[in-house]
Amino acid sequence: MTIPTTGLTVPADSGQETAGTTPQLRASVLRTLLRDPVAAACLAYIVLVLMMAAFAPLIVKVSGWDPYEFDQSAIDANMGGIPLGGFSGSHWLGVEPGTGRDIFARIVYGARASMLIAISATVLTTLLGVVFGLLAGYFGGRTDMVISRVMEFLMAFPALIFMIAVLSALPADDRQYLLVVVISVFGWPYLARIVRGQTMSLKQREFVEAAVASGASRSTVVFTEILPNLRSTILVMVTLAVPGYIGTEAGLSFLGVGVVPPTPSWGQMIASSVNWYSVVPLYFVVPGTFLALLVLSFMVLGDRVRSVVDPKGRS
Amino acid sequence: MTRYVVNRLAGMVLVLFLVCLFTYMVFFLLSPDPAVQICGKNCTPERIDQIRANLGLDEPFVTQFLNFLRGLFIGREYEGGINCPAPCLGYSFQTSQVVTDMIVQRLPVTAVVAVGAAVLWLLMGVVGGLISAVQEGKFADRFIAGLTLGGMSVPNYVLALALQYVFVVWLQWLPFPQAVPFADDPVQWFLNFILPWSVLAIGYASSYTRLTRANVIDTLDENFVRTARAKGLRPDLVWRRHALRPALTPIVTIAGMDFAGLLGGALITETVFGINGVGKLAADSITKNDQPVIMAVTLLAAFFVVVGNMVVDLLYSAIDPRVRVGVSA
Amino acid sequence: MTLLQAKGLTVTFGATNVVDGIDFEVRPGGTLGIVGESGSGKSMTSLAIMGLLPSSATRAGSIDFAGTELTKVTERQMRAIRGDRIAMVFQDPLSSLNPYYTVGTQIAEAYRSHRSGVSRKAARAAAIEAMDRVHIKDAGKRVDDYPHQFSGGMRQRVMIAMALSTEPELIIADEPTTALDVTVQAQILDLLAEVRRDTGAALILITHDLAVVSEVADDLIVMRHGRVVETGTAEQIFSDPQAPYTQALLDAVPRIDDSIGDLRPVPGGPA
Repeated sequence: MTIPTTGLTVPADSGQETAGTTPQLRASVLRTLLRDPVAAACLAYIVLVLMMAAFAPLIVKVSGWDPYEFDQSAIDANMGGIPLGGFSGSHWLGVEPGTGRDIFARIVYGARASMLIAISATVLTTLLGVVFGLLAGYFGGRTDMVISRVMEFLMAFPALIFMIAVLSALPADDRQYLLVVVISVFGWPYLARIVRGQTMSLKQREFVEAAVASGASRSTVVFTEILPNLRSTILVMVTLAVPGYIGTEAGLSFLGVGVVPPTPSWGQMIASSVNWYSVVPLYFVVPGTFLALLVLSFMVLGDRVRSVVDPKGRS
Repeated sequence: MTRYVVNRLAGMVLVLFLVCLFTYMVFFLLSPDPAVQICGKNCTPERIDQIRANLGLDEPFVTQFLNFLRGLFIGREYEGGINCPAPCLGYSFQTSQVVTDMIVQRLPVTAVVAVGAAVLWLLMGVVGGLISAVQEGKFADRFIAGLTLGGMSVPNYVLALALQYVFVVWLQWLPFPQAVPFADDPVQWFLNFILPWSVLAIGYASSYTRLTRANVIDTLDENFVRTARAKGLRPDLVWRRHALRPALTPIVTIAGMDFAGLLGGALITETVFGINGVGKLAADSITKNDQPVIMAVTLLAAFFVVVGNMVVDLLYSAIDPRVRVGVSA
Repeated sequence: MTLLQAKGLTVTFGATNVVDGIDFEVRPGGTLGIVGESGSGKSMTSLAIMGLLPSSATRAGSIDFAGTELTKVTERQMRAIRGDRIAMVFQDPLSSLNPYYTVGTQIAEAYRSHRSGVSRKAARAAAIEAMDRVHIKDAGKRVDDYPHQFSGGMRQRVMIAMALSTEPELIIADEPTTALDVTVQAQILDLLAEVRRDTGAALILITHDLAVVSEVADDLIVMRHGRVVETGTAEQIFSDPQAPYTQALLDAVPRIDDSIGDLRPVPGGPA
């Protein structure tokens, strides 16, 4: 009855339309999306950021500056470290005030942190959400009760503050992994709840009943009858989860409990720009724009994917 | 109905207890030894042991947890005659303050932030959503859809910095934020809150706009709206009674929960704008690694969320007759 | 003398005529049955009379209601007719009633919107009276109940009470029994017949079920693919159907004396 207002909710009653989609779903979704210029642009930007993340060391070689390299010649030491000039041939997107580190290089490396964490967290959340959602929805009874209670408990938690608290208490050595784990632990119930609902309604459908009646084993029913029909729901949830987690990672890094310096991350770059924003606005505009565009691309794409796989669904 | 309320209350108490236990456990297991922190530089193992004994840190987990719970309900005393009356949320050794006092001092500011933001986002969200629903598919709808996507995409700290730069540094429409008590300078006080309210509201307003739009469009499709029109009801009554009430009820309840969530502190917004609320307290404590405060804020936030959930559920059962009789309870 | 006369009534969505130039008439106090499969355009016909077609639909032809041309009146004039002189009973009573208001409020709402200067109290009394007339027991108490507290049949009685509260000259019942249990269907049909008898209102009964109209209707039209395939009195059509489609429909109705395995589907199927 209580609906959290994360962007991660999909109407639970869309089972009617989504059930019975064909195996060629993914290919046809992609084709439809590519024909839509806006969706294609979003996809292109996401691919660009992914490439940036993947080939960061190579790209940095071309641009000429390492993300950790201090360039004292690019800042004015007498003025408290204000960068000399903005975009330039040497520093494509300018340098960090105070240190003179190359912003472009840090953006490229920061993409690594953002993408790696967001995608790993999405994979883990999806796995947990689908498994527990299926278990609760298919077996019902006590299994369902236990899983549902755990989900309610986790959703009642003030997730952000708790994540911050946990991360601040934990040693900083393996923050990336911890981030992924913590985000996923609090993230899976939102997917599981929807998977559970759809599984429950799919279980009543004739083709599942027919499979059960013809003596198929439980695992066969779950994996060959129910799971394929959840594919479009999961697809929509995933495209909506990624931007959420990108934002979460950046937010946590912004608050100083995310990626540990000097490893760059977009959120962290924005955090360190707080003290400079009035003098060097470029320092927050650059990572801010990259971040906002990435989240926007995923959101638009998520919307389009949803309207392709579930045309009758609510927006 | 009474049974429903009792059940809900029992569930709430259980969740709060579990939140306490879970949080305490995490901090017990993970946090660095506070005795070492207090002891400081010239520390001997004996001194540490002594502090641990004084603080009860050498006790087993269960005893410590029970002590914490006792503090919550009847209060407790710390070393050196520090009295921490109920509800005692702990003692911050770094600031030498009782945590409850620290929070109580800052709660009003956070409440101001939350109330203003909630008013703003409900207004923007509902009006935007209604316009979108009425103009479905037309220019206004698409325009608002674009705005909401933007509003949901820009992280609030980026938005905060951008707005602050534009309105304070560049256009200078707003004064540079500085903490002013309301009584001293109400105008400056109000101007200080404009940006934080807007930043918080924009994110929420975007999702509320979408929700309102979807709900109104769905409701207009309902059979009972057709019935209302078939009765020959005036269009404004059809809208007000039969479309808006069912469409907006869930939104008001969600707003209640989001509002409750905000009372636990808007960490990022308060930090960026230097507002001395609960959120900034939490953020500062994280930087200083002041565990008792972080834990207290976590518990407080959980408390607000859980209580908010319950109030909203009860409210909902008052508004929606189907729930009132316990159909879906 | 006719109460309602439709001539060349056409409803168009995009390029398709879902109702394609049909003619029919309803006598004052008479009962017209409109029979057809789903998709035959029978529900669109009722919405066309009420002026409640979706905005994507266009309406052509003429509908004369007691001397008023319904296709020519303004929305304001139509609103005065809707619910007052022509009332409607829909298929699914649960979703057709607003869950947020008591049934009394919803019945009184219809009554008050057509009787200016009626007090809340008087409207409530009228609601209770209407509920009495549709044989809802304890109407004085149940008037304050919400729709979900009623059973399916009782909800449909509420819908009928709502329709008759304004003493309309015509009641349109669109599949009024389809969503109900079989045992309740007959009661609702009896109730409709009784209401018609007592109030003198004419009735248009729209259904896919020949057994339903056979009990209540005086005149029948049979619709298929938006056209009228057969018109006549119920007696005529049941005893001597002319159109092959009507014959097929009649053959598809199971009779007590039919042996099992003799059910015949209608050839062609839905388009």
